[in-house]
Amino acid sequence: MPKLGRREFLRIAGLAAAAAASVRYAPGSPALAQTPLTLRIMWWGSKNRHDRTIKVLEMYQAAHPGIKFTYEFTGFNDYWTRLATQAAGGNLPDIIQQDYARLVEWEGNRLMVPLDDFVKDGTIDLSRVPKVSIDGGRVNGKLYAINLGNNSQSILLDTDAFKRAGVPLPDQKWTWQDFEQIVLTFRQKQGIFGAGYEFSDQQVWKSLYIARGQWVFSRDGRSLAVADDGPFVEHLKMLLRLQKAEAIPSLQQEISEYHQNIEAQPIVQGKAAMSYQWSNQAVAEAAAAGKGRNYKLVHLPRPKGGKPSNYLKPSQFFSITSHSKHPKEAAAVIDYFTNSVEANRVLMAERGVPIAPKIQEALKPLLQPVELETVRYVARVQTDSSPLPPPDPEAFAAFQNNVFNPLVRDAVLLGKISPEEGAKVLRAEGNRVLAQKS
Amino acid sequence: MITSQFRTARPETGRQARGRVRLGEHNLAGYLFIAPWLIGFFAFTFIPIAASLVLAFTNYNILSPLPHWVGVRNFERMFSHDPRYWVSVRQTFYFAFTSVPLKLAFALALAMLMTAPRRLVGVYRAAYYLPSIVGANVAVAVMWRQIFGTDGVVNAVLATVGLPAHTSWLGNPATAVWTVIALAVWEFGSPMLIFLAGLKQIPAELYEAAAIDGAGMLARFTRVTLPLLTPIIFFNFVVQMIFGFTVFTSAFIISNGTGSPLDTLLFYPLYLYQKGFRDFEMGYAAAMAWVLLVVTALLTALIFKSSRYWVFYAQEEG
Repeated sequence: MPKLGRREFLRIAGLAAAAAASVRYAPGSPALAQTPLTLRIMWWGSKNRHDRTIKVLEMYQAAHPGIKFTYEFTGFNDYWTRLATQAAGGNLPDIIQQDYARLVEWEGNRLMVPLDDFVKDGTIDLSRVPKVSIDGGRVNGKLYAINLGNNSQSILLDTDAFKRAGVPLPDQKWTWQDFEQIVLTFRQKQGIFGAGYEFSDQQVWKSLYIARGQWVFSRDGRSLAVADDGPFVEHLKMLLRLQKAEAIPSLQQEISEYHQNIEAQPIVQGKAAMSYQWSNQAVAEAAAAGKGRNYKLVHLPRPKGGKPSNYLKPSQFFSITSHSKHPKEAAAVIDYFTNSVEANRVLMAERGVPIAPKIQEALKPLLQPVELETVRYVARVQTDSSPLPPPDPEAFAAFQNNVFNPLVRDAVLLGKISPEEGAKVLRAEGNRVLAQKS
Repeated sequence: MITSQFRTARPETGRQARGRVRLGEHNLAGYLFIAPWLIGFFAFTFIPIAASLVLAFTNYNILSPLPHWVGVRNFERMFSHDPRYWVSVRQTFYFAFTSVPLKLAFALALAMLMTAPRRLVGVYRAAYYLPSIVGANVAVAVMWRQIFGTDGVVNAVLATVGLPAHTSWLGNPATAVWTVIALAVWEFGSPMLIFLAGLKQIPAELYEAAAIDGAGMLARFTRVTLPLLTPIIFFNFVVQMIFGFTVFTSAFIISNGTGSPLDTLLFYPLYLYQKGFRDFEMGYAAAMAWVLLVVTALLTALIFKSSRYWVFYAQEEG
């Protein structure tokens, strides 16, 4: 029996090996045939974005028979986890969607290739693009990322709610005092929230200082740079007042509801008159709220006599990773997203206002009211904004996730510590985490 | 094959035979047959575990693939420079030491109801076991979010009986952890089945004898059921305790990966995950994992040691 078994085993093993070999070397199999070159691409976003992006990739494939795409997409948080795993395995996609907050971290780890040469030889045509829309993708003087669209922080106003309450629409130079007043008015007159979630977000914290001409982090990104806790403490106190007056959702409500889909946003449900978001996200909110409602976008409030809280930000980029074997072909794809009118007719500024002026012009007649409003809003911000702050430091994600959100924002707004104590914790723990990263 | 097995089993030739067989052709075939499992075990279990032990002493960051040896710095930082670490330890103990006793009590109570020879008792057993089959997965945790949401079932029920119905169960630091404890208790099915098996093994004549001696319901429970059930309680306690220290999915989904509010859902495995897969500090996460392993092992050993004082094995008496 055993002998027979072994012979049998070897025979089967031989067969299996032969089968494997025949698959690998068979004529006409993918490995030997003239195969199209495969580019891998990955992005984060909503279903809306996935559909649009896939459509554009298919269009590109149809026009370039030599190129084939494999793509992956996820939500924002899983995206970075998945990319990090692939970075560790040495198999990053050719093209990745990149975020302003992660640029320094990725450059520091040498995971992206500079694109300057591709711009110089015209593979990526940025000749008519204003410098301000390109420079956000630079780290240490080199261009690592091509801006897919501009946006800015914004307050979305439900203009019908304003009309009903008899509140005049705020001016773009409105202040946080005006904001508080208006929010309270909605509570008193209409019994709804004046504004929705996320006014305690780290982006707002940064903007409090941007409006005072300061950047919160030091040049080397290893410590906090602002000397004065006052603006942050004042802001937290205002939020506590509004939360107590039930004029904005409490952080408790925000935590228990917020992470659900966009349909749960108070402004979408008609429970709030204003909401805070990046301007390109307003499109999705308005879509979720349904037809027959009217909106306007306005600047983030600023301190009395302060500079604009807003700055023009690249909403996201495409980068080519250092694992890519075909950077030139990948660069051509990025050019297609940047400069092709037909591609942008599908993308429809969903990633922010396109950086190429000719694309902006081509899209304008096609846009829905809210989409058009985001384009106009970004133009308004362009003429009334603070300069783009430096990219976030390398340890920023760790800072936000381990200090700002749990130890400061949650602790203060859930009433565990006072705003003053919160500012102290931010300083002590924040500096420790920022200094820690190697 | 059969003959060789017999040979190895014979004590007088045991050592010799074993030596010969190891080199012999029969064993090769055997190893080839279990090769898929062996390869899987080494590639996916043993080597990663060994690697994580090494990584625990490095500053390995997934994004920068060159780890540097940092000695015990990860452990130092964990114990003295990381406030959230101790929060996660505290919350994990809180969770384990509340959810496990509650779950066991619940499981035992239901198992006792199930022993009664009623109609449809089999159906009930299956029905109550169901949560354990579907439990501890993503879908259930998502459902739990809905149930305890501000517009969820719990608040809707409270509203119908006129109680305050706007509590943010998941956003309030005082209640959020209890929603996760409730979810853990709800998955009482497998300890219940084990209790059920244990209860059936208690001889009926002991109850009869006790009843004749005038023992009431309570006395029969505390004097007969509980002592004879202690081995089963012991087993369930150990298994559930280990489960309690490694709970992840429910806290991850319910807090959307953050551990909020106020880090009350920041259980140890969730924080470990955050460190490894969100902050990409794999070295630190590996160090945390080894501390978890050691603590769980120590705790289990402690329970084992204590068992001599409270676990009663019937045959010892004989």
